[in-house]
Amino acid sequence: MKVNNRRQVKLARRTVSIIALCILLVVTVLAGYIGVNGMNLDSRGLYKLLPWIPKTNVTKETWPASIALGLDLQGGVFVEYEASMSDELKSEGYNFNTLLENTMDIIARRLSEKGFTEATVSKLGTSGIRVEIPEVTDPSAVLDLIGSPAKLEFLDYDGNVFLEGRYLKTATATEDENGDPAISFSLTSEGAEIFGDMTAKSIGKTITIQLDGVELMSPTVNSAIYGGNILVTGTFTEDQAETYALQLQSGSLPLDLRQDKLDTVSATLGDDALGSSVNAAIIGILLVMIIMVVRYRLSGVLADWALCIYIIILFLLIAIVPGIQLTLPGIAGIILGIGMAVDANVVIFERVKEEALAGRPIIHAVRVGFKNAMSAVVDANITTIIAAIVLLFFGTGSVQGFATTLLLSVIASMFTAIIITRFLLVNMTRIFKDPKLYTTSKKINVQVSVTAKEAK
Amino acid sequence: MVIKNRMKICLIISASIMLIALVMTILGYGINFGIDFAGGLSIEYNMNSTFEQSDVETALRNQGITDYKVTTSGEEGSTLNIRIPKLNSDEEIQVLQAGIEEELLQKYPNMDTDNATASYVGPTAGATLIKNAILSVLIAAALMLIYIAIRFSLYSGMAAVIGLLHDVFIMLSFMVILRNIIQMNSSFIAAMLTIVGYSINNTIVIFDRIRENNSKPAYHSLPRDEIVNISISESLGRTVNTTLTTLVTIVSLYVLGVASIREFSLPIIIGILSGLYSANMINGYVWAFLEEHVKTRKKTVKKHK
Repeated sequence: MKVNNRRQVKLARRTVSIIALCILLVVTVLAGYIGVNGMNLDSRGLYKLLPWIPKTNVTKETWPASIALGLDLQGGVFVEYEASMSDELKSEGYNFNTLLENTMDIIARRLSEKGFTEATVSKLGTSGIRVEIPEVTDPSAVLDLIGSPAKLEFLDYDGNVFLEGRYLKTATATEDENGDPAISFSLTSEGAEIFGDMTAKSIGKTITIQLDGVELMSPTVNSAIYGGNILVTGTFTEDQAETYALQLQSGSLPLDLRQDKLDTVSATLGDDALGSSVNAAIIGILLVMIIMVVRYRLSGVLADWALCIYIIILFLLIAIVPGIQLTLPGIAGIILGIGMAVDANVVIFERVKEEALAGRPIIHAVRVGFKNAMSAVVDANITTIIAAIVLLFFGTGSVQGFATTLLLSVIASMFTAIIITRFLLVNMTRIFKDPKLYTTSKKINVQVSVTAKEAK
Repeated sequence: MVIKNRMKICLIISASIMLIALVMTILGYGINFGIDFAGGLSIEYNMNSTFEQSDVETALRNQGITDYKVTTSGEEGSTLNIRIPKLNSDEEIQVLQAGIEEELLQKYPNMDTDNATASYVGPTAGATLIKNAILSVLIAAALMLIYIAIRFSLYSGMAAVIGLLHDVFIMLSFMVILRNIIQMNSSFIAAMLTIVGYSINNTIVIFDRIRENNSKPAYHSLPRDEIVNISISESLGRTVNTTLTTLVTIVSLYVLGVASIREFSLPIIIGILSGLYSANMINGYVWAFLEEHVKTRKKTVKKHK
């Protein structure tokens, strides 16, 4: 009876394992299919799961929309500036960081106003500014725009410009009688005359004062204003008033910018790079899969399965973690991550093989082998995480893109090695117990007989 | 004893590679710095036809540029690359580019000026890049030393970091030796840090084995380098297989990739091979050497006191 019971338990375990593996297989295939093709969540296609895994011969058009591409793959212009504060401003006690933020705001505003809505402006190190504008290949137009002087315009009630910034003598940030932030303009004598004449003509009507196309205020004229001193209040903060005043004084941006780096990537070059590196990755992965099956038989098949799950998880992470742009080095990071994901599997399989060679039944060999391999797998991955984090902090631009994907790769690889591979191996060995299936067969027979002899 | 000799031979091989690179650098054939490090302007055009380099040079001289490098590449020899190391201001670039395009368009009407790839790097950017690279390698190495010292032992950490620096220097040496086929750009920093992270994996797997064998009672009477030997040969199957799989992916990237990808993958290939070699031939023995010599010396010093 006891023996019979034990047999039944074993049989039941086997059935559970078969079911578990079948479920995982269905989940893997389904997730892979949705990952590559996306899925409509309702019949009309209003709600849709976007695909997140790239296909072969991918171009910008067929690239999964859920993963943002870096400039090197998409084509575009990027510029890096080194900002510095003039001695004059320093002596006046301005805060460099505030001015840097303001400068970045102004650049971003100018770009988005001119239709470069995809442009990003980010801080680089402590005093650098990086501007990225995708899908633009002529840098000069953009650079002119960024560095162009601030445009002050006075518009009459018909919207015609009657006075421009060149009639401006000084502009300073100040407060009005209520203590609200204000900018005080002082016009040249010529400008004062034009302004006076216009206000005389516009009594009871509205005039508009614009900076860089943004309305500062639209006061109604009560009386003719001669003398050339105008106090402007509007919907701006104290900080903005300061920036506007500086911008008007200096002609362009509050800080001096020195162009440190400029790169244009043509759209065709980006497409070539994207397609060829993704194809290279796919070929590389297929070769790795073949090697694994040749070297490790059924274990290799399981490793390939784990690798598929790893790829699904990794690209999902890249798609959902905000702020990630996939760059060319980023793809290299993924490929390297694949190498490491396989590495963890190899370490585990070698340990299992060793235990099997020592004569243990395969189920025990898996358990012991796993335990022995775990410290090496964890230590190896943590050191890589250390390197990736250092890169993340010290790298700029493309190097950072690489560090991000490498970091995500290692995390995904640790998860698949520790959870998925173990799950697959444990269940598979309950179904197929012959150790020959899990390693090169000749060696194991010889070794088992040797250990048997030694035991005698 | 045989093993120790092998380690000596390996050290000699590594040292010679580094020495060759050093001598080449001293003789003026150092690392071929790309635009990211050296600064300057680089413009690439698709001419859509073959062209004479002399025409391009004439156009450059007409713009008042005397220091330049013009190269032809692409399958049909229709890609033109112009490098100008020194430029005074940003405005100069736009004027210059427009001038060159105008002159070349007259002779080569098929030239594609809309899809030109232009890169400009200021004169100080390279220095910042080098500073960051050195800093990041040192910090990564220090953090790994601490981690391995905690997880293994101080000597293991030291041996691993020595191996790691060895790999970085071998990579740098090959950047000198292969200067005709590879330029050093900012992607090299990423490649270097990749190897710092990756080659340590091999070392850790072997050290993990050494740690395990070292605590086995059966091995207590064995000299340390013998334990290292056993551990290395026990891990060899794994080391070879993982290196093979990683190499396969990165080599396919090198073979199929565009120029910038090659610039990145070649140093990684070198680094992976160097990591394989140092993990198996150097690091373990350095650990054994530190354990046996430094520890025993410490003990004798204590006794004398």
